[in-house]
Amino acid sequence: MADYTNYTNREMQAISIAKSISDGQIAIVGTGLPLIGAALAKRIYAPNCTLIVESGLMDCAPIEVPRSVGDIRLMAHCAVQWPNVRYVGFQANEWLHDTSRMVAFIGGAQIDAYGNVNSTCIGDYHNPVTRFTGSGGANGIATFVNTIIMMQHEKRRFMDKIDYVTSAGWIDGPDGRAKVGLPANRGPQMVVTDRGIMKFDEQTKRMYLYGYYETSSPEDIIENTGFEIDVSKAIKIDPPTPDIIKIIREEIDPKQAFIKVPQ
Amino acid sequence: MKKVYQLSDAISKFVHDGDYIAFGGFTTNRKPIAAVSEIIRQGQKDFILDSGPTGSDADMLIGAGRVKAYINCYTANSGVTNVSRRFRHAIEKGEILFEDYSQDAAVLMFHGAALGLPYVPIRMMLGTGLVDHWGISKEDRQKIDKLPNDKFLIQDDPFNPGHQIVLLPVPKIDVAILHVQMASFDGTCRIDGDEFHDVDLAIASKHCIVTCEELVTDEYIRREPSLNTIPGFCVDAVVHLPHGAHPSQCYGCYDYDNPFYVMYDKASKTQEDFDQFLKDWVYDVKDHSGYLNKLGGARLADLKAVPGFGYHTDMTKMAQEG
Repeated sequence: MADYTNYTNREMQAISIAKSISDGQIAIVGTGLPLIGAALAKRIYAPNCTLIVESGLMDCAPIEVPRSVGDIRLMAHCAVQWPNVRYVGFQANEWLHDTSRMVAFIGGAQIDAYGNVNSTCIGDYHNPVTRFTGSGGANGIATFVNTIIMMQHEKRRFMDKIDYVTSAGWIDGPDGRAKVGLPANRGPQMVVTDRGIMKFDEQTKRMYLYGYYETSSPEDIIENTGFEIDVSKAIKIDPPTPDIIKIIREEIDPKQAFIKVPQ
Repeated sequence: MKKVYQLSDAISKFVHDGDYIAFGGFTTNRKPIAAVSEIIRQGQKDFILDSGPTGSDADMLIGAGRVKAYINCYTANSGVTNVSRRFRHAIEKGEILFEDYSQDAAVLMFHGAALGLPYVPIRMMLGTGLVDHWGISKEDRQKIDKLPNDKFLIQDDPFNPGHQIVLLPVPKIDVAILHVQMASFDGTCRIDGDEFHDVDLAIASKHCIVTCEELVTDEYIRREPSLNTIPGFCVDAVVHLPHGAHPSQCYGCYDYDNPFYVMYDKASKTQEDFDQFLKDWVYDVKDHSGYLNKLGGARLADLKAVPGFGYHTDMTKMAQEG
């Protein structure tokens, strides 16, 4: 008999992503965890959500797990295969609609207390210690759409000052986005890590601990966050039930493309 | 039939040292890898490479030392290599001029060029490193004729005073190379699945080379013109090149060759191993036929797309498992 009680923090992260999508919402997903989370949302928590990807594929319903946002597995069975540039226009016109219509998932290597994200380089931009892919669609997404940011929760990644801002969060506070010319009524809503869920204070737009997994604690979060973080409002997040873990392992990612099952 | 070429003739005629070059496709999908390999064999160099989201197409050309300036928005064989390794190495070691835009900006710059616009005004990139940092300085840009002198300009929106906008220059592309499912003798192209930015490249380039899975008569491709997206006027050379996108995907034709990408991931870790990869899979195979023979028929058959899915999956297993 397979064991479905030995859940991992990565599975918790996927479930947190799934629960963050409201029913009927349009979710902009990348590959990896957001796709697994969104597939789980569609299956359990938000059956009427729809998935789109930055390559221009609209209302995707992949049967097999895709490896990239341009994967044929997303092209098959979708509603419309738009050229990139149509997607860009669609996204930039999101101001016409309710702020809650769409939610997007982005990731990165570094994040600061205001949800600004770095996916470009570690160290100096011109002479980096480590170079990453660069923006991809993340900068445009973070400009026009509310985001949920996926991160590995480590002190060296949660920093007071990140090495490069690839995707704008709240910049430096409540007026930050308006000051630099970005839509002020959109921005990061949540940070989902392998230790818990962070949100942003409505007044200050600074990150605070909303909830921690049972394998973590407020002390563990403080220990692994490189800036001062308010944990006074934190709740303990319930562990997943075995039936949810069974669905992830057997139906959503059976080949363990993005979530490894513990031995 | 004056547009139909052998691959080597098309590349030698239209690809030159110092060209501003752009490839169609998207990371690991419909990338003109066979054409990239032929460029590497022939020796053209000093390119300004600008292709939107790329994978091993850009990484191979960078690793082979042929790129002088790289306009980047995203470079990865996603799912196998999360950051393309020769690209990463070249930047970390300061071996290449590079510039960063967001993917939205990159495809809008191609689209602006395709629409004949002088520049493209956008509201993205503000408040980020994409406007705080120039990868290629103004001084370096002034030394390279084919690059605009400015990465972008920030201006007041003339229709909405008090609001800043970013003006992006449009690229002047010397040569674009696309891989498509079907083309006819006169250069008419049919792309199945997402066209990505390919049509914009065909319109906005001085020369466009198309490699295709199937080469058909003009009469055949015109039986269903609603499926065609590039008229022959935009195309200078058509090359019949089955599996010309391998190891990337080609919708309706074949899937990515994952073991090949895994091999490339390992080979691209060091320059030495990468050079051996080029020797084995580019120089020593002589041409695309040699490359396909080295891959082998069974391997290619195993990548064949399933009708209705567009990608490869084991249908025998699917049927047996019900």
